Amino acid sequence: MVSFCIIDSKSSPWLWGLLLAVLVGSGCQREEVRVYRVAKDPAKSGSPGMGQAHGQPGSRLPRLEYQVPSGWEEVAAGEMRLASFKVQEGSSAADVGVFPLPGLAGGDLGNVNRWRSQVGLPAVTEGDLAKLAEEVSIAGSPGRLFDLAGENPGSGEKTRILAGILHREGVAWFFKMTGDDALVAKNKPLFVEFLKSMRFTSPQGELPPDHPPIDGMGAMPAAASGKDGGAGKPAWAVPATWKEVAAGAFLISKFVVNGPNDVQAAVNVSMSPGDGGGLVGNINRWRKQVGLSEMGEAEIRGQVAELETAGGKAMVVEITGSDPQSGKPAKILGAIVGQPGRTWFYKLMGDAELVAREKDAFIQFVKSARYSNAS
Amino acid sequence: MLLDRIIQFFSSLKLTVVCLGLGLVLVFWGTMAQVEMGLYQAQNEFFRSLFIYWKPEGSGLKIPIFPGGYLVGTVLLINLIAAHIQRFELSRKKIGLFLVHSGLILLLVGQLLTDLLSQESMLHLREGETKNYTEADTDVELAIADVTDRDSDKVVAIDYRRLLKPNPIQHEALPFAVEVRKFYVNSVLADRAKDAKEPPPATMGFGPQLVVEEKPPVTAMDKRNVPSAVIELRSGGNSLGTWLVSGYINQPQRFTHEGRTYELSLRRTRLYKPYSIQLLDFRHDVYPGTDIPKNFSSRVRVMRPDTGEDREVLIYMNNPLRYAGETYYQASFDTDNEGTILQVVRNPSWLAPYFACILVSAGLIIQFMMHMMGFVRKRRTA
Repeated sequence: MVSFCIIDSKSSPWLWGLLLAVLVGSGCQREEVRVYRVAKDPAKSGSPGMGQAHGQPGSRLPRLEYQVPSGWEEVAAGEMRLASFKVQEGSSAADVGVFPLPGLAGGDLGNVNRWRSQVGLPAVTEGDLAKLAEEVSIAGSPGRLFDLAGENPGSGEKTRILAGILHREGVAWFFKMTGDDALVAKNKPLFVEFLKSMRFTSPQGELPPDHPPIDGMGAMPAAASGKDGGAGKPAWAVPATWKEVAAGAFLISKFVVNGPNDVQAAVNVSMSPGDGGGLVGNINRWRKQVGLSEMGEAEIRGQVAELETAGGKAMVVEITGSDPQSGKPAKILGAIVGQPGRTWFYKLMGDAELVAREKDAFIQFVKSARYSNAS
Repeated sequence: MLLDRIIQFFSSLKLTVVCLGLGLVLVFWGTMAQVEMGLYQAQNEFFRSLFIYWKPEGSGLKIPIFPGGYLVGTVLLINLIAAHIQRFELSRKKIGLFLVHSGLILLLVGQLLTDLLSQESMLHLREGETKNYTEADTDVELAIADVTDRDSDKVVAIDYRRLLKPNPIQHEALPFAVEVRKFYVNSVLADRAKDAKEPPPATMGFGPQLVVEEKPPVTAMDKRNVPSAVIELRSGGNSLGTWLVSGYINQPQRFTHEGRTYELSLRRTRLYKPYSIQLLDFRHDVYPGTDIPKNFSSRVRVMRPDTGEDREVLIYMNNPLRYAGETYYQASFDTDNEGTILQVVRNPSWLAPYFACILVSAGLIIQFMMHMMGFVRKRRTA
């Protein structure tokens, strides 16, 4: 009995503590409805930070043409980039990217200070910024070039960043070369020439203001970074109702289809060396363009149909969503034709009903394409 | 006496050995089961349970066949405390053993608290991006945001567990009731054919254009359940329509009710913070001339408006950021090397194992020293 009393009196703080912890713990994890107020998501309002992902519908960015300096290798652009290049010399490497960001995109000072921190340099003030900037010509307009060299705070390696900034029609264009200090310094004249060689061309086929934006009319598809690769335009039977328009720098061909009530859809054809980012990567990119999130490989393969075409097997997918800006139904009909060493991408995108109406014509068009052997 | 026998049982060394033996089997079995079940399910069934059950197929029965982690741990804890109280007296001679036992008790209690109180989430940031919230890895919520106001949104976030309970859901912050028509733990969305005979899953937003297909829940570590739900909003006895919400639909679906605009989304549960974190730079360094990773690091900026704090921190492997009771570990990154994924762990009892180890070590050292001194003294007198 004595023992019982000892246990009871001495262990009770432990047991109470344990009980309290259980109650608090379960209380914290079982909160069923939470109500809170948050500041507007800057990513959605297009303000600095996220910017607008390249290739998203609604981005009415102009096209970009440029001369690739010798020794630079153009690579798949990636999600936020309009173009991407790799420079390699022995064990030294550098990366070049072109990032168009609508709005002020964090302001020049914020971005320059962020880059400075990446090479271990202290932040500067707005006044210092003007002194640091070199004048440079970007696409015939005056831009600013920043040459920042230091040591990477993480690795301790000597690193240099060359960054060109151009503000044009509400879009901040960033051209950034990052890599080994000596290699980037050596490539600076080429980088300046690269900036000079930029040419903006207007998007083709203007849409009515309230029309769901059509991908490719404003931005190039991320995976379709290759130009025609020497392969040229395939021979194909174009449906009579499609109107061919200027394709711009990153597309092989482009067609516009008009529907009732001024609705429109566009067909983009592009080619990329290799697998161009793969089936899953490209379909997920298309899904995002109509407001859907990514799917796993198994789910995507379950939704893809095979189609025999004159140029080989095509993987066809139909994605329905809505235009992220207007909320109106939008549809993508995509076909990916893999060939040795290259991949062809066909995409019909626009008003959901019009795309559904044009489905048969699109399939016949893809089936009819005959490709040259050159690659 | 019965009570004495009970106390004898709970304070016996045999029980300690049995518990440790069961724990050994449990850890081995639970570890092997992860191959089939995946980490989370194995943790729940083997360690976060009183019993491990055998469920004969088709019978609907649950037969306990082995003690689970909670049971073994609790009995071991009671055993330690009971033995401690019954056998040990707080004397100088036994101070070492007292410390060892206190350390072991603290270790067990600390583990239980970790299990109950710790919270894991993820923070995905692109270079230049700033966020003041992290996202739960497995939990989802139905977020209904009133986006009418110019500067801020009022969010009502309903945990998915509530969506599984009886409906409708009414809340003072919502001018309508939410009724869950169907909840899919795992699902896949596909296009609805134009000539489809089946009615669309929902009448509003994305609903008319899509079909939702239920999938068996997945448990493997590299797979994730993507939930979907068909919900109906009702106000004053009238239906405002039905919506299909899904983890596959990124874009919130917008509608207007009584002059206010709302957005609906089923998303990973967000945990907002009083501070924000910006990714300044992500580095994925490789050994020269190879693709072998040398270092992953994220240089971030921590900003806290209420204290004016604004500083930079470098997070890399084995060097997490510990801030405001949370730990940010470098966990993964985007394939284009311009985004980082940080694992965020809130564990209020994270210091418990450290203190427990210190107590056990100190106890063992004291006990050993006392024995050694006694031995030396004996030899001298001999």
